[in-house]
Amino acid sequence: MPEAPVLAQLDLEIRGLRKRYGGFVAVDGVSLKIAKGQFVCLLGPSGCGKTTTLRCIAGLEEPDDGDILIGGREVTGDPPWQRDIAMMFQDFALFPHMTVGKQVGFGLEMLKRPKPEITKRVTEVLRAFEIDRFADRKPASLSGGQRQRVALARAMITEPRLLLLDEPIGALDYALREAVMIELKMLQRRSGISFIWVTHDQNEAFSLGDHVVVMNHARIEQQGTPEEILQRPRSPFVAGFVQGNNVFHGNVARIAGDAALIATPFGEFAVPLRDTVPLLGAIASFSVRAERLRPMPPEPGCNHLTLTCRTIEYFGSIRRYILERGDGEVMKLDQFGAEPACLIPGEVATVGWRAEDGVLHEGAPS
Amino acid sequence: MGWRTRSRLTSWLLGTLTIGFLLYQWMPIATLSLLSFSGPTGGTTFPMNGVSLHWYRELWEASIMSDFKPPLLRSALLALACSVTTTILAVTAAQAMRGRFRGHNAFFYLLLLGIMAPGLLVGFGVALTARLLGIEPAWDGTAFLVHVSWTLPFGFMTMLAIFNRFDARIEEAALTLGATRWVAFRRITLPIVLPGVIGAALFGFSLSYDEFARSLFTTGSDVTLPLAVMAQLDRQLTPELYAIGTATTVTSFVAILACTASLALIRRSMRRG
Repeated sequence: MPEAPVLAQLDLEIRGLRKRYGGFVAVDGVSLKIAKGQFVCLLGPSGCGKTTTLRCIAGLEEPDDGDILIGGREVTGDPPWQRDIAMMFQDFALFPHMTVGKQVGFGLEMLKRPKPEITKRVTEVLRAFEIDRFADRKPASLSGGQRQRVALARAMITEPRLLLLDEPIGALDYALREAVMIELKMLQRRSGISFIWVTHDQNEAFSLGDHVVVMNHARIEQQGTPEEILQRPRSPFVAGFVQGNNVFHGNVARIAGDAALIATPFGEFAVPLRDTVPLLGAIASFSVRAERLRPMPPEPGCNHLTLTCRTIEYFGSIRRYILERGDGEVMKLDQFGAEPACLIPGEVATVGWRAEDGVLHEGAPS
Repeated sequence: MGWRTRSRLTSWLLGTLTIGFLLYQWMPIATLSLLSFSGPTGGTTFPMNGVSLHWYRELWEASIMSDFKPPLLRSALLALACSVTTTILAVTAAQAMRGRFRGHNAFFYLLLLGIMAPGLLVGFGVALTARLLGIEPAWDGTAFLVHVSWTLPFGFMTMLAIFNRFDARIEEAALTLGATRWVAFRRITLPIVLPGVIGAALFGFSLSYDEFARSLFTTGSDVTLPLAVMAQLDRQLTPELYAIGTATTVTSFVAILACTASLALIRRSMRRG
């Protein structure tokens, strides 16, 4: 992501957002900056606070603390209808009693635009979203994909500064999702409207987001580009949550140059230091990606351990070996799918990785 | 015998039972309406002694003593007022319940007490209180209040059930599209819950229209239809009473049919474009 100029106006800024329901803390000090025209994904397990954050941005929930600025304007106390936003809901929340044409024009009607202008604009938008055939139909007679288009057209017709999407393709057939994702991404690029997309599906988040925000337990665990998050997880939670990481827990045994030696139940492993030098004996964790692992004889500059191959998953582009580690956890080793298999189920093998491929976590283990 | 055969037997049995019940429910009214068409010399039981509209004419050209038209008008107006009041209060109360305000459970049970409380005593209590306050019981005063306390819980329950199935996100979608709370309610929520609103209105009307117990002590000297009928029964039983019973039932039928038809229309307009 290119660094945004300091003076560029932000589409959204959140500072120290907090929201609790009775004794349950839903959002605990979330801060976020979104530059103009970004595709941002809020990713996390259910109950992590991502939807509450989105609803606070929309004005559907009142935060207990913190500020929300949309396009540089403070909106924390404003009701939803005074914010320059639109929202798309998981089951689309279409108005069952309104025709497609009428509900797509609803936003413009609320802005009190003249009738002829609304009619003209609705016709354009319906055509752009390829739903002009259904202009006089009610939502109940439409398919899932058609409803999704109606919901999107309804939200985008007023060209809001922010489009908030709450699991927007979760209600679609699996087969349809990929095509819809590509379309939405292109639409976002063309329109220049910032999208904030809430999902628990990391495939969605990493393939769509310019910027991915991983949340857990009401806080932001890590944010950055998909690559940063996938390759350099900052915490054991992020490493374990995103696919393809092998996570190790242990203690710092020694600091040797720019690497830490981490003692784990499976041996000592050298891992490059990150920004801070951990204390000797401190609890530490690190991860190594499945594609960095390979069967290899012991070599200097590499970490090794001996594992039993349990089963093999074949995905076409990759072949994944599930290896038993001995503590009940499994490790994953990925190989290019086009290459011949390097292990067979039941085989006991020494696998390893170059020491510099390990990623030390910064946060305390959660 | 397979389970399908057995279940077919059960369905016959239950079908017969259902038809029996419906007959038992409607036979008395059918008998009554049949006898209301008996001749001028006809009595209040079979045989009918001819067929005529005599008793309906009698009803229309009634003497002062047995004129049902003023009580009928009062009952109809009272029922209409109850219907409107019940609808407005039921919708607003159910809407308030959605907000889960503090004490909403207590509010719910207190409102439902209107159904549980014995009507005669409630009416008596209201009449007593009114006297203490120096208010004369009247059909359009005390009786109206007591009737609403009776019809409101039914309308309220109807609206609660409807709002229970209402997806609040539809409303939220309207808010994010720039609609104020009032506009969202008027343009989105109200049209969707309209079937329940009609149901509440129907309850308000029909429960008030034939209410006897709660009217007895609260209408004052200008009585409502059920009280007038009861008074006439005490004086003299003629097929004229059957005629009024039939006319009232037909009116109710028409009202229910009108509501059902409008519900069907709403549903159809939801489905199609």
